[in-house]
Amino acid sequence: MSTETENRSAKILLLATLSGGYRGADMVGQGHMDYPPNTYILPVMSAAIFPPKFYIDAFNKGFDAITVMYSGTDSPYKGESEKTAEIINETYGKMKELNLDPRRLRLAAICTVCVRPFLEEVQRAEKLLEEIGSVPRPLTKPQAVPAQPAGTQGGIFHAN
Amino acid sequence: MPEENVNKQAQAGQNPKDEEPRIGVYVCNCGGNIGDVVKCDMVAQTLGKLPNVTVAHSNMFMCSDPGQKMIADDIKEKGINRVVIGACSIFLHEQTFRRTLERAGLNPYLYYHVGLREQVSWVHHGTPKEATEKSIRMMAAGIAKARNMKPLEPVRLPAHRHALVIGGGVAGLRSALDLARRGLQVTLVEKSHYLGGRMAQWERVFPTNEEARPLLKRLIDQVLAEPNITIHTGAQVAGAKGYVGNYTVTIRQQPRGVRGTFPNEQGVMDVCPIKQRCEFNYGLSTRKAIYRPYKECVPEGLVIDWEHCTKCGECVQVAPEGMINLEEEAHEFTVEVGAVVLATGFQPYEPFYGEMGWKEYPEVITLPQLHRLLDDEGPSDGKFYWNGHPVRNVALIHCVGSRQVEGVHRAQMDGEVNNYCSRVCCTASLSMASLIRQKAPDAKIYEIYEDIRAYGRWHEDYYTRASKNNVTFLRYYAEEIPEVRRADEKAENPLLVKVRDHLTWGEEIEIPVDLVVLSVGMMPNPVQDLMEIFKVTPGSDRFLLEVHPKLRPVETAVNGVVLAGTAQGPMNIQESCAAASAAAAKVSALIEQAKVELEPYVAHVDPDQCQGSGECVKVCPQEEAIELKTFSENGRTFQRAVVTPANCNGCGVCVSVCPNRALDVQGWRLDEYEAMVEAIAADIPAWEGAA
Repeated sequence: MSTETENRSAKILLLATLSGGYRGADMVGQGHMDYPPNTYILPVMSAAIFPPKFYIDAFNKGFDAITVMYSGTDSPYKGESEKTAEIINETYGKMKELNLDPRRLRLAAICTVCVRPFLEEVQRAEKLLEEIGSVPRPLTKPQAVPAQPAGTQGGIFHAN
Repeated sequence: MPEENVNKQAQAGQNPKDEEPRIGVYVCNCGGNIGDVVKCDMVAQTLGKLPNVTVAHSNMFMCSDPGQKMIADDIKEKGINRVVIGACSIFLHEQTFRRTLERAGLNPYLYYHVGLREQVSWVHHGTPKEATEKSIRMMAAGIAKARNMKPLEPVRLPAHRHALVIGGGVAGLRSALDLARRGLQVTLVEKSHYLGGRMAQWERVFPTNEEARPLLKRLIDQVLAEPNITIHTGAQVAGAKGYVGNYTVTIRQQPRGVRGTFPNEQGVMDVCPIKQRCEFNYGLSTRKAIYRPYKECVPEGLVIDWEHCTKCGECVQVAPEGMINLEEEAHEFTVEVGAVVLATGFQPYEPFYGEMGWKEYPEVITLPQLHRLLDDEGPSDGKFYWNGHPVRNVALIHCVGSRQVEGVHRAQMDGEVNNYCSRVCCTASLSMASLIRQKAPDAKIYEIYEDIRAYGRWHEDYYTRASKNNVTFLRYYAEEIPEVRRADEKAENPLLVKVRDHLTWGEEIEIPVDLVVLSVGMMPNPVQDLMEIFKVTPGSDRFLLEVHPKLRPVETAVNGVVLAGTAQGPMNIQESCAAASAAAAKVSALIEQAKVELEPYVAHVDPDQCQGSGECVKVCPQEEAIELKTFSENGRTFQRAVVTPANCNGCGVCVSVCPNRALDVQGWRLDEYEAMVEAIAADIPAWEGAA
């Protein structure tokens, strides 16, 4: 269990598509609903552009949890949904090699009006970091990778 | 696409000058919306210490004239060549600031917008210190991106001032008329041999209660009178090539087999030995293999149903010479168009055998069939009779094929239930209840509903009217579907409807009725072929998907392909016409000037990095967006990926698979994101109040 100071410096990255989660984040703001300030939202056209290395590098550089907020099956881009899920699954494999808890990376379908699911995702990430703390850096491959207990996968979540 | 255009686009994104970034940073207070929480002066002051930041200001309203002038002056006087603005939502003022840059002579894409209001000050009220720190980090990320930004040019292409409208129903007709009146050439293709679509099958339309067919006739007459419109009935799109502004579409047209009209048409139909289910009356009557669907149809001539015609020649014997040609064949032709409107319409939900007695009992019909039954020009001349007897008790059951629940309702072929609301059926049912009351004043009418969703203006009046007209309402819950079964032989009414009514605290009620009407929902017409041809995608409800209902309504993700009417979801006629006009407005804005200008956010290949692996070509979901081309240089032959910008929608699927990082989406490059991530995570300069 980490300390409170550690939690406050832990950083959450939200990669939010302009046709989905980014607008959802704006809706949360328009509703003046609070969430912790250690969340950083970057707008993306399509979530399919990021290869697994990008996520690993982001963990290495200082982020402790990453949520990709895309439009899921409602994506206007043919193939984006499937490709993004494929990349995230591939990244889980690389995270496992680095002994990174896969729950730190999550793919969530957040629509432009998904206020509650957006907040739930942020809360989920906060709660996770309270439980497991920041990423131990620098990331190195351990000698032996311990098996993940059941039910600890990051997972792909569809809010809508 | 012309080769020189491809090359020009391939070069876009390169900065020939490779100039040193001189970044202007502007932090908006937004009155107090941002400034009351975030210390904007401190943010500007802190960011001013970062490398390449030439000026950093905070201002009360950056979007105001003085705010914009400040940016323009800095560009002109201080040589600012990149701009980062922290303000309200990107969706509000991105265009405002792009124009500011353009006016000052700077490429409008050398600008990045950080949403400090919706994503910082409005969500971190109680933590101003953290909100200020977050603002610094988010703006620093913008600065990091700005350092790498390159000027971009919109994709500019010549365009045919000619649109193709697919579908001759009310939405297609409305779109075609609007486009033609804007001076564009329009080709309208309709799969059936007649215009008007589903609207012709209605007697009246809500909420105005106007007669449907005269209303439709007026619209068709206007379309026929418009010289810019060419109509092809019995025609379907067989293929398409090209991209926005320059589509070549192949159309296959089935012959009518009958030339024009002639006096003895009824006699010709009478001698035809073939009897078929009449689609126009939803199977309530039959028609011949040479037929017309209804009296005032357009075109008015007869047509041959080639699927069922045996070519026995009886009709040819009776018709005037040369009027019927049973050997006529289908033909194909092409049209060159700049944009495509998909107005492919809907089909009523077809219940499964036995679903609430459907097809199990002949006294169970659907709402569209009831429309035909009560139509004065329908199979029973508008009399409310069934099996030769007047109907005295009728139950209308709502939400059949809509708002279905997994595990309760049977799934469609794709394994999914129809969980969406078809929206129009509640008001349609209520309007039919009023019509029944007019035709059969003594009839007992039961509306059995889940929820009444009379959502539109004046739609609620139908509910009020039905309530005043002694229509009995019963409410069921989704998990307890009403049951329809055969009554005892001796019973006065043939059917019994069992329903647990939650208006009477869950009482189980059995209603004896003569007729059950299933208020069926809407499903999209099967247009898999068109989805393949134009690369458009369906939503989870199987209707065609628009990019976004608020941000980019009626547009698909494919440039130049737009949606009109019920192709994109359940709508009534008013809404269909509004969507069709929106589609026409979108198309005319796109191709009216005989050229198309698109956002430059498309894939871009770095020819120095590309090794011709072809991974990008394998995964690209868009046809002809990226291909491998063979080049020769100094006697060496090699392959490189080449993007056709007009066909690329910037989905970025190719970016993540390139083993050499030779691909990026312009304006949203991977190296920009890497720099942003690094900037957010990095230590930030000390600022007053941080301790």
